[in-house]
Amino acid sequence: MVENIDLREVLKGYSNKWVALSTDSSRVVGVADNPKEALEQARMSKEQSPILTKAPQNYGTFIL
Amino acid sequence: MSPNLKYDYRKFPAEPSDAFPRRFSASRPVIPISIIRGELRVRYLAIIDSGADLCIFHAEIGELVGLAVESGKLLRFNGISGQQLAAYFHDIKIEVGGYEFDCCAGFSRDISNLPYGLLGQLGFFNLFNVLFDYNKGKIELKSKNNA
Repeated sequence: MVENIDLREVLKGYSNKWVALSTDSSRVVGVADNPKEALEQARMSKEQSPILTKAPQNYGTFIL
Repeated sequence: MSPNLKYDYRKFPAEPSDAFPRRFSASRPVIPISIIRGELRVRYLAIIDSGADLCIFHAEIGELVGLAVESGKLLRFNGISGQQLAAYFHDIKIEVGGYEFDCCAGFSRDISNLPYGLLGQLGFFNLFNVLFDYNKGKIELKSKNNA
């Protein structure tokens, strides 16, 4: 289990994109307008188990 | 299988505001899960959201596991400001920490401003006891299935 997962720097600069993170969430291994392309980039970089997330236009405060 | 799973909170960027001028990050109980349909499987971040009635994921994630999203059963639901949103429900499997379970989950094109999917009461909290420790940044999940 990864300790203290800090995505602040990792996700910087990907506003409104789908992002594929490395298995340990320490780096971006794919980024695109849709998750399919982000995943393809991740697989081309030999990432075994990428994790998808959507970087929103801005990271405001969420009340869900 | 009766897993006892431990996760760390994830720290996301946040914009300072008049109310919280020094708040540059937000720690949230977001965990990696897999959405599974047949042989297709996609890893994806989801927030453990006790305020959500159901599990709702981005429609694009459903399409990655081969769903024709709009062929599912429609549910109109309300966002926090009262706006009506739509989700289409499908039977899938979810994997959390190596533990797979069936879930009737909604897939929506109306949550595109969210960074992650929602793990809600039915489909997640009915299967796990969840312990949040915000100050320590820890989440503990214990399956209610003692089999």
